[in-house]
Amino acid sequence: MDLARDLLDKLVVDRHGREIGRADAVLLDIRASAPPRVTAIEIGPAILASRVAPILGRWMRGLEYALGIAEGRPLRIPFDDIMDMRDRVKVDRAAGETVAAALEHRLRKWIAVLPGSS
Amino acid sequence: MSAIVDLVLGVITSIGGFVEAGSISTSAQAGSEYGFQLLWAILVAGLMLAMFTEMAGRVAAVSRRSLIAAVRERFGIRFQAVPLTAELLIDILLLAAEIGGLAIAIRLLTGVSFLWWILPVGLAVWLVLWLCGFNVIEYGVGLLGLVTLSFVAAAWTLGPDAGDLARGFVPSVAHHDRARYAFLTVSILGATVSPYLLNFYSSGTIEEKLTEKRLWINTTTAYLGIAFGSVVSMGVLITAAMVLQPRHIVVDSYEQAALMFVPVFERWAIPIFAAALGIGCFGAAVEITLNAGYAFSQALGWSWGANKPRREAARFAFAFSLVLLAALAVAMTGMDPLRLTMISVALTVVIMPAVVLPFLVLMNDDTLVKTHTSGPIGNGILAGITILAGLLALIVVPLEILGG
Repeated sequence: MDLARDLLDKLVVDRHGREIGRADAVLLDIRASAPPRVTAIEIGPAILASRVAPILGRWMRGLEYALGIAEGRPLRIPFDDIMDMRDRVKVDRAAGETVAAALEHRLRKWIAVLPGSS
Repeated sequence: MSAIVDLVLGVITSIGGFVEAGSISTSAQAGSEYGFQLLWAILVAGLMLAMFTEMAGRVAAVSRRSLIAAVRERFGIRFQAVPLTAELLIDILLLAAEIGGLAIAIRLLTGVSFLWWILPVGLAVWLVLWLCGFNVIEYGVGLLGLVTLSFVAAAWTLGPDAGDLARGFVPSVAHHDRARYAFLTVSILGATVSPYLLNFYSSGTIEEKLTEKRLWINTTTAYLGIAFGSVVSMGVLITAAMVLQPRHIVVDSYEQAALMFVPVFERWAIPIFAAALGIGCFGAAVEITLNAGYAFSQALGWSWGANKPRREAARFAFAFSLVLLAALAVAMTGMDPLRLTMISVALTVVIMPAVVLPFLVLMNDDTLVKTHTSGPIGNGILAGITILAGLLALIVVPLEILGG
């Protein structure tokens, strides 16, 4: 498997095909005596921003704290929970129940009061 | 039958949606200062736009990925972060310019300062995006935009000499102020090949569920629609050349550009120009705002789509609303919309290499476009355009200083 081509930055969907986010980071278990092993993927703007520049990651983390959505982020999904990764990375989760949806839930509450939002 | 309807609607909306602040201002300036001499630049820019639009649509139809999603997956965030951020910032400037253009159009009709119209215009754009689905947005705006055909009608009525027109399609050296001529050439390119258009088109391909089997619709819409759309831009240039140049009127405001209609439409000149400018700018403002929502959502893997209820794609709706607010803040500074347009257009040329370079890879990646990869001729042209875009990016800022 080519991690950069087949996993990193790919769209991650839940078991029903709903968007969770993108594979913003891939976690590896590196041991001297064995080949590296993929253990999990991570999803979240702070981890994504830190790939561009570490300081951006810290700023994004600060923003998550300020918005009160930092708990449990970034979302970490063990590699064993990946169901399929041919076109999109399908994981054994429900999008609405993950911390990746915290901002979506917050905004949805605001938006729901506006006419025409549903 | 439905394929033919899709094709006709696609071509009509391409014509109606082609002309906006950037193309009106660059074409009017080119015509008023250099006559027909820059017609070739509109032709070349139109061909480039058609080529990139077709490729963006092909990637979307075959891979079910928008351009931004495909670039993120193929190149990664470290490649994408800087050009995408720059593109969003330029889109905010361009959006402010379009909102300002529409506000100026209303001022032409009412006489009330354009600053009073910025917020109502912003609210109108937001309401359309909040309440309408993709087809209503695209087709509605495109059909209303057919009023921009008034530029073609004006040029036709003025009856330009066929030989003079033909000479305009041959690239030539300017007789005066060559830096200005070069700047306008590059600006026409920047105004035509806008990055937001490419991602908007690819996102629209997905919204309309166009599939690999109907790729011919994508190809025909891209080339035919943009060919006719370019004719509207040429209409602006020809009218400006025939009316404004002999009277030594230089277009440094939309009010002066409006004078190009006077000999043809007489007392209706200003209302017709205001309608063409206003509707052109309104359509572009709606598309740029919607594309901002697409860009954030596709880059970050959020749920998106103009056909989804807004509460079911809350981050998408929030993203486009936020970008619209930022553009309104810029527009409210009172900066001249025409000046803002020319700055946005020049900055678009600066980031153009990062916009066109990915096509070279995407169009040769059979995991994305399967058997529809580009051939050697397509790749050769693409490579040539990429090198040209790099050169233009280097010279556009000095040209803006010398000839802007």
